Amino acid sequence: MIQLKNINKVYRTKTIETVALNEINLDVKEGEFLSIMGPSGCGKSTLLNIIGLIDEPSSGAISIANQQISDYSGKATARFRNERLGFIFQSFHLINDLSVIDNVELPLLYRKVSAKKRRFLAEEALTKVGLKNRMKHFPSQLSGGQKQRVAIARAIVGNPDIILADEPTGNLDSVMGNEIMDILLDLNQNNKTTIVMVTHDETMAQRTNRLIRLFDGSQVL
Amino acid sequence: MFTNYFKLAIKVLGRHKFFTFISLFGISFTLMILMLVTAFLDTELGSHEPMSKRDRMVFLSQVTLKNIETDTIMTIDTTIKNEVAVYDTTYDFSPNNTSTSNSDAGFAFLNEYCRNIEGSEKETFYSPGSSFDIFINNNKLTFNGIYADADFWKIFDFTFLEGKAFGETEVKNQALGLVISKKAAVKYFGENQSYVGKTITLEGKNFKVLGVVRTMQGPQGFNADVIMPYTNMTANQLENHEGFQGRFQGLFLAKTKKDRRIIQAEIKKKATQMVMPNPDDYNVLELNAWTFPETYAKRLWYDEDATKSLKKLFLILTSLLLLFVLLPTLNLINLNISRIMERSSEIGVRKAFGASSGNILVQFVFENVILTIIGGVIGFVLASFLIYTINNSQALGNVVLQFNGSIFIYSFLICLIFGVLSGIIPAYRMSKMQIAAALKQ
Repeated sequence: MIQLKNINKVYRTKTIETVALNEINLDVKEGEFLSIMGPSGCGKSTLLNIIGLIDEPSSGAISIANQQISDYSGKATARFRNERLGFIFQSFHLINDLSVIDNVELPLLYRKVSAKKRRFLAEEALTKVGLKNRMKHFPSQLSGGQKQRVAIARAIVGNPDIILADEPTGNLDSVMGNEIMDILLDLNQNNKTTIVMVTHDETMAQRTNRLIRLFDGSQVL
Repeated sequence: MFTNYFKLAIKVLGRHKFFTFISLFGISFTLMILMLVTAFLDTELGSHEPMSKRDRMVFLSQVTLKNIETDTIMTIDTTIKNEVAVYDTTYDFSPNNTSTSNSDAGFAFLNEYCRNIEGSEKETFYSPGSSFDIFINNNKLTFNGIYADADFWKIFDFTFLEGKAFGETEVKNQALGLVISKKAAVKYFGENQSYVGKTITLEGKNFKVLGVVRTMQGPQGFNADVIMPYTNMTANQLENHEGFQGRFQGLFLAKTKKDRRIIQAEIKKKATQMVMPNPDDYNVLELNAWTFPETYAKRLWYDEDATKSLKKLFLILTSLLLLFVLLPTLNLINLNISRIMERSSEIGVRKAFGASSGNILVQFVFENVILTIIGGVIGFVLASFLIYTINNSQALGNVVLQFNGSIFIYSFLICLIFGVLSGIIPAYRMSKMQIAAALKQ
């Protein structure tokens, strides 16, 4: 489903060059739940961003669903992200000025979907994460766990093939973290959604199909 | 999608109250000034009663007489050739203007030479600028009067509240009749149901009111209280200086807008063909016929050529307009950049979920247009209030500022340009932001 070949990411300033990723080769199968672990600053999030097409590698090739993404224009990449990928962030990144349902509808705004259908799909996604009764609330009125569930609803509303989760339980206590993990596992097992998750939590990582570790930008066994 | 943008725009405005206040103040104040300026320009230059046909009007309002004499300049050059002085004399003949006289035209001159001008559908000769002091009930009133011919009423369009204008017969018979403005009638007679048939005494003559018009104020300072047949002028008033000059203006109504140039050229040509009555005093005649906007520009820069004056007026107005729009726009751009920077995480999320740079650009420009439209509505209300106050207090003398639909449309367009201009630069910058970088902020 996802193939990374010789991915390098180097941040350059006038005086210093920092290697964030070094020769990463990775193959994620369709329907797989992969977790990426490693110490802070080892390049986990950078790798996830590159897989999610929200950052570009310095060199190397990315192929998702048998499509060479490096050939895509900005607009085509945006469309690809919209239709095939869903994101969950550690700090939720909900838009505080929009209600829960409006936040969930966001990915559908960039598709040709009627307002009525948008609302229907958003309600359905919120029902899946158990937050249908909080539709009209605003993010500031929700707990951390609830916010992350809204973020999951937003990630799944467009029915993507792949979900990329950057420390989705990082800001939550263990009970809430487990609830979020249950939802992700359910999506992976029942919807066959491919999930790539960055985490610091060994217990969460052990619940996934496969675990890879990074250290100083390189993949370690 | 736009409902979502609209909801968000309103929320963001409510969240940053101080920023919103500063932005709205800037926008509404600028637009208020712009609306006042456009109202003033529309009043002065727009198509209004009694000059609704202004686009077809050509005014002959200046007759110039010049005395051009040829100066002879003799130059003697001395050179030494074979130790002998040699003198070389050259003569230079150049025209020199020794005397100029500018004035309105004389009636006889207009009547004799300026009828049936090519391109003209109709013409009227009238004499503005007469002033009558009237003492009534221990009060002094000053009425401005125009002496006119019968065709005056066919070219200028007045709204008659009652009665009618004078015609050929009244002009021919030197009828002591006049048309009065409603305002002047109220001043003279007091509030009445009807004024037609009443008598008004001007310079010892009793004039009968033939008609009452809604207003005699119009563009370009057109201002009168009474209009009467020119045949009531005294012989002295009708008398022509040097045969050509006097107190009259010629106004030609072109068949089409294009025909104005034909009329102008025809009148210019006539000037070169006329035999001067007293060539010892003045031997050159210049007739200056101008269109409506040229006449306005000439009033501002009397000594310059009409076309140059008009270009100058256009340049000044455009520069002022640009300055008025540009300065607050630059300020708003700055404010918008800091406001949008705060929302970089939102931009990151939107782009991550599939928004293209174009989507982000449209969203932020749309939000800015909403802000500008709100500012525009406030500016519109403020401007309407100010125009009402200015007109009521007569702060601009006889100028009554007009506020009509076209001004609203101009202002609305200015609003939109303002909104798009001040929003597009910050929005463009933010739309190009890297998603990963935007999410980190």
